[in-house]
Amino acid sequence: MKKTYIYLLILVLASSFSLSSCKKYLDINKDPNTATTVDPKLLFSFAVVSYANLRSSGDSYIPFALAGQSVATGGNNPTGWGVPSEEQYKISSFSNANSWRAYYTTVGANLKEAIKLAESASPVNNNAAAQNKIVLAMCAYEATTVFGDVPFSEAWNTNISYPKFDAQKDVMEGCIALIDAALKQFDDASPLKISDYDLFYKGDLNKWRRLANSVKLRILMTMVDKDPTKVAAIGTMITAGNFIGASTDNCLINYQDVAGKKNPKFLLNEQYNNGVDFFFGCNYVVDFMRNLADPRLPRFFTKPDQAADYFGVENGATADDNVNVRVSPLLHSAVEPEVFFSYQEELFYEAEIQARGLGVPVNLAAATTLYRKAVQQSCLFYGVDAATAQTFAASLPDLSTVASPVKLIHMHHWVDKMDRGIDAFTQWRRSGPSGDETPALKLPIGAPAGPLFRRFEYPTTNEIAVNPNAPKNRIMFTEKMWFDL
Amino acid sequence: MKKLILSLFMFLAVAVAAYAQDRTITGTVTGKDDGLPIPGVSVKVKGTNNGAATGADGKYVIKVPSGSTILEFSSVGYVSQFATVGSGNVVNVSLGQDAKMLGEVVVTAMGIKRETKSLGYSVTKVSGDELTKARETNVVNALAGKVAGVRINSQSGTLGGSSKIVIRGGSSFNDSGQPLFVVDGLPINNGAPMVSTTSGSVPQGSAGTDFGNRASDINSDDIESMVVLKGAAATALYGARAKNGAIVITTKKGIKGQSSVTFNSSTRFDNILKVPEIQNEYAQGTLGLYDRTTLSAWGPKLSDVQGRLFPDFLGNQVPLTAHPNNAKDFFKTGQTYINSISFDGADEKSDFRLGYTSTVQSGIIEKQKLNKNAISFNAGRKISDKFEVRASINYTRTKGEGMPTQSSNDPNVLIGTNYLPTNFDIAQIRNNYIDPVTQQQITITPSRNGNNPYWIINNNTSTNVVDRVFGNGILTYKPVSWLTISDNIGTDFYNENRFLPTRNGTVGALTGSFINANLYNRVMNNDFIVTFDKKLNSDLGLKVIAGNNIYETYSRSDQALAQNLTVDQLYNFSNAASVVNQNGSSKKRIVGIYGDVGLSYKDYLFLNVTGRNDYSSTLSKDNNSYFYPSVSSGFVFSQIMPENNWLSYGKLRASWANVGSDGDPYRLAFAYTGQSTAFAQYGFGSSFPFNGVLGYSIPSIIPNPELKPQNQNSIELGTELKFLKNRISLDFTYYNTNTKDQIVNLPLPQSTGFAFKTVNAGSIRNSGIEVTLGLVPVKLTDFTWNLDVNFAKNKQVVTLPSDIASYALASGWSGLQIKVESGKAFGIYGSAWQRDPNGNIVIDAATGLRKTVNDQRLGNTAPDWTMGINNTFSYKNFSLSFLVDIREGGIMFSNTVATLRNSGLSPETVANRGNIFVDKGVIQVGNTYVPNTVPVQSMQDYWGQYTSTNTESSIFNASYVKLREVNFSYKVPSAFLQRNAKFLKGLEIGVEGRNLWIIKSYVPGIDPEANLFGAASNGEGVEFNNFPSTRTIGFNLRVKL
Repeated sequence: MKKTYIYLLILVLASSFSLSSCKKYLDINKDPNTATTVDPKLLFSFAVVSYANLRSSGDSYIPFALAGQSVATGGNNPTGWGVPSEEQYKISSFSNANSWRAYYTTVGANLKEAIKLAESASPVNNNAAAQNKIVLAMCAYEATTVFGDVPFSEAWNTNISYPKFDAQKDVMEGCIALIDAALKQFDDASPLKISDYDLFYKGDLNKWRRLANSVKLRILMTMVDKDPTKVAAIGTMITAGNFIGASTDNCLINYQDVAGKKNPKFLLNEQYNNGVDFFFGCNYVVDFMRNLADPRLPRFFTKPDQAADYFGVENGATADDNVNVRVSPLLHSAVEPEVFFSYQEELFYEAEIQARGLGVPVNLAAATTLYRKAVQQSCLFYGVDAATAQTFAASLPDLSTVASPVKLIHMHHWVDKMDRGIDAFTQWRRSGPSGDETPALKLPIGAPAGPLFRRFEYPTTNEIAVNPNAPKNRIMFTEKMWFDL
Repeated sequence: MKKLILSLFMFLAVAVAAYAQDRTITGTVTGKDDGLPIPGVSVKVKGTNNGAATGADGKYVIKVPSGSTILEFSSVGYVSQFATVGSGNVVNVSLGQDAKMLGEVVVTAMGIKRETKSLGYSVTKVSGDELTKARETNVVNALAGKVAGVRINSQSGTLGGSSKIVIRGGSSFNDSGQPLFVVDGLPINNGAPMVSTTSGSVPQGSAGTDFGNRASDINSDDIESMVVLKGAAATALYGARAKNGAIVITTKKGIKGQSSVTFNSSTRFDNILKVPEIQNEYAQGTLGLYDRTTLSAWGPKLSDVQGRLFPDFLGNQVPLTAHPNNAKDFFKTGQTYINSISFDGADEKSDFRLGYTSTVQSGIIEKQKLNKNAISFNAGRKISDKFEVRASINYTRTKGEGMPTQSSNDPNVLIGTNYLPTNFDIAQIRNNYIDPVTQQQITITPSRNGNNPYWIINNNTSTNVVDRVFGNGILTYKPVSWLTISDNIGTDFYNENRFLPTRNGTVGALTGSFINANLYNRVMNNDFIVTFDKKLNSDLGLKVIAGNNIYETYSRSDQALAQNLTVDQLYNFSNAASVVNQNGSSKKRIVGIYGDVGLSYKDYLFLNVTGRNDYSSTLSKDNNSYFYPSVSSGFVFSQIMPENNWLSYGKLRASWANVGSDGDPYRLAFAYTGQSTAFAQYGFGSSFPFNGVLGYSIPSIIPNPELKPQNQNSIELGTELKFLKNRISLDFTYYNTNTKDQIVNLPLPQSTGFAFKTVNAGSIRNSGIEVTLGLVPVKLTDFTWNLDVNFAKNKQVVTLPSDIASYALASGWSGLQIKVESGKAFGIYGSAWQRDPNGNIVIDAATGLRKTVNDQRLGNTAPDWTMGINNTFSYKNFSLSFLVDIREGGIMFSNTVATLRNSGLSPETVANRGNIFVDKGVIQVGNTYVPNTVPVQSMQDYWGQYTSTNTESSIFNASYVKLREVNFSYKVPSAFLQRNAKFLKGLEIGVEGRNLWIIKSYVPGIDPEANLFGAASNGEGVEFNNFPSTRTIGFNLRVKL
């Protein structure tokens, strides 16, 4: 019996010991695989690579390039993309859901967090905050051109669970305000900025300023037809200048010919189609270029040996491998960069401003110079040699001699953006009121009767169904948005 | 091995020899009612301390000192009996059942053995015999239809595939609600980890491959009994870990007084249970024209194009003919061989059992295999009168090969690709999947969906290998008769390697790739228990248990994705141009102290009060301690009733419990995670470092440092009644469980920048009844008919905070979600047909096609009720039983059906082709609706719209009636063996069948039980290219030496 009490005593002692060490024993709830603090540049790099991937990939590039008819599927051609597909407005629910997810989480939320980290750092990293704000403005602007009214003023805020949807006008105004704030925030005196992780400009703040101005101009140009009060702001900006002014200012991300770092457009052809490009040149682009004997044709397309010249295919029609051109592997190469803003795009806007007299007097001579320069830059960008580019640009008609100078600028602008999915689609939508856009697109073969494609529908699962403040009525992909007249 | 067995035999021989010195009496104890041997009967020589127990065959051996003449036979549930030893050495006894004292003993929480009658809550025991009659390779499946309130949901027919258990309805928003598995006191892992590659860079998602749930490593041949603890009061002592119930498994041990060798062999054949019907009238193509670039069957009518030739997938010009057996011929007969052998024995002081089971399976498609080898050893020894040691160890190695990829977004998805237009000949596809000259794949279409299913089967075979060890050591010290001090320490760990190759030339990953993942998981558990057990006076008994528990789980995963392979079929990292690595780990600890005070009065009134306090590492220091109490009581009222002929046993029981539980580790702090890839559609994301930079991201879940434990309150009332000398027995239970303050990842609209936030929110109330009815309609000398029926009905009601409209539990595809709303049960939501106020379907006047509306509730995922009916007929030594499993209510979504209709393969898509078809519905004209008169452009358009834009169209009633199990067995009489084969102690042969027949179902072409969401998810009711389930017929031989 005595023994028993000794054991009981040991038991009591043992348990009291175990309780005292219990606290320490339980203090293991720190994840060994994550960091509690990071430099904002690490979030910036993930955000911009995710953004580039979205724009180059099957979620954004393919639906907008096909539904927007800047390329064609080739119908039932065995090695074409196939129909019915995005060209017939069969947009996978993954596409709109993944695009939304990128704009708001992988891209937007990381940029927003990077801004917060930069501004709460000691000392404050103003330049990093400004760099992130400019990309965030690009991202939010793109999101509204894809979906229409979207959350902005209440988005990316851990204290607001159900952000309201802002009107498109307010989103665009908000993006402009964000750019203005970034421009004010740049601090050349501070050595703090994102430089080695800056995949666009390696920390060159002057290039960032020029990008900011150009992005702001792009937004104003999208708004101006619906909101003519923007004319004045455009005029002010043109007077002030300091836009993207050379191809070295191009805002882009390079892919590499290394496994895991290749352009997603290239990978699709590589992994599914033995390297044969899935996409065909469409009549709208190819006819226009062929008639001009555009030197970019062999850079954009591969002409079948049997074909006499470059011929595209009607959207939705079955392409003939002996007749119709496919997108060239020179364009959809492993290293094709994803372009966010190019020098030629800037020049096209400026040409348009001069031709339309937006905030400046109409000046077709200036417009001619600018659009020729834009086409020349486009040629150079896509690999045409300098002499040919110059000759070709010079051969383009003087705008004072053509019936619709603005339409011609729009067409060149759209052709330049053939491989830039959503950018081409927005350019087309803003090029004129419904039925008078450039080019005048027809319903693709096999697409449901009715109006042309105008937008992505909202994603159901990751936004509409969980946000009580989201629009309740289904907004069809054929419905126009605010800026789209 | 041989040596070990030999030495064990020698050990036994010596022990037995030392034992058999004096006058030895032997005999057999049988039941008065059935004449069957009764194991575990205590045999004592009256007036001495000599004792023995009967073995499984009812036999005993006892040493009787001279002068002693009376033996006492006693066993719980039987009337004790004395027998006089005469001059002979054999004393056979038959015991009658004690109707009032049906004292079945069950193992309850923490391994505490208690008589069933003393329990204040319902438990169900499934004996090991039940599990090995028709052996399932996943022991979880053997519970199907057998236990009221327990639902088994197997994910697929994949060999080694996973099964989920749902006890009394889902009680959690964010975990799959799996019960705790406890083997001999050791809680073991029953995970079904996913290796997520959704953000990966090749279209290769192992999430769609069913690698099984780890409870399947438990070998059913080693199981003595399986007790299902359903309610919180029953599991309260396990704490938070068992908030979804517990499956308490006791393994077989050597039985005193005998040594034996048991051999159990099963051979089984599996074939596909249900194949979708494919129409045989129309060929491959679109809009009535033959087109070999599509796998749709919207081509020409075969009878219209006889005499014409068309290019087939090999480029040959052939006539189009029907091949009606393609779908069936794709599948073959699978084979299973389960062989087990065990050696066991015991004497007064020691016992041991060594078991080995080999399972060799081949699947119903080529290249699918499963090999499982399980070894178990357990032994106990009384070191002294007061000190006992016991140890057990189990090792299982499971190797699976060729698990098919399910769901979508992966070039290796198999099911679906085998359902082809009738002009294909599956034999030709099988024989021509690879070009003999170029070694390149011969695709079945030239387009991007053309992977030849046999290319995938023969080349892209996923494998997994699991090496698992679990075991424990138990020390028991009994200083005085009323005090027991014991410690049970154990560990369970496994390593699983998963390998998923995609051979160069597979469309979608033409440059080849592979995923290699290593998963490691470890559980450590220690329970230190002090038990005080004393009769306070002749009427009142007191049992007090106090314990301390330390529990740790750790898991780690390392996975690598290799892309761009150079040498064909060489799956080595050095052969890859790019390797993307990911790793992660997670650790959690719980320390608990607990106690149980049990009072019994006169053996008919019982009261138990328990309390447990847990300290969890996953919650903040302010919130990490939580206490949960339980009270339960049993009252055997028949004990105080006057003797009567109609009620032989009656008991009431009641219990209340409150259980707290913690969440997953690392959910309190905001942290940044390094990213290995940035997503791009079709799996072509970029890997970091990218252009020399790394990438980090914020979490997708907003963490919550203020997280509190969630809390479950439950009451249970029940009664057990037995009438007419046990010819009728009834067990009725009512329960009501409310789990509140749920730790949930509340889905946020992604415009917040996050996908979820972790909060305490919402509650789930499950209330229901469980009825088990046992009848013996016929009982003759040689013939008995037993009828057992179990029935369960559960009502689930969710309450969400007012600012949360709905909560998504799991996401499917194209807008389909498993969600909940306040006042409702878990349901499927998705797009539905638009309807006018009178319920007519609204048609689009422009196209003649139906209109849809998004995000509609389409029905419950859980059934209204379930029922199992088991009939057993015994005639002499023959026994025939069959189990019918019924589910009523609930819905499911079938993607297979949707796909077959979309591509014109289903028989129903044949109707109206080439005719003008006007869908029944209404067209909106202003504010009114008029009957539709607009025809559809084509039936291809109609079915395309019908299936691709809409969830409702592929929703079916998930009710079923299934013939789950049939067993026929014959036990060779022992008298016959005694005469003719003395070396045999038992011989039994049987024919077994499982999943034999879907008697009633509402889903065309597939098993209504298929579920994409595996055991790791609380999603249910979605079938997405699932590998079909199988029907099994087999033979079984059991020999005991």
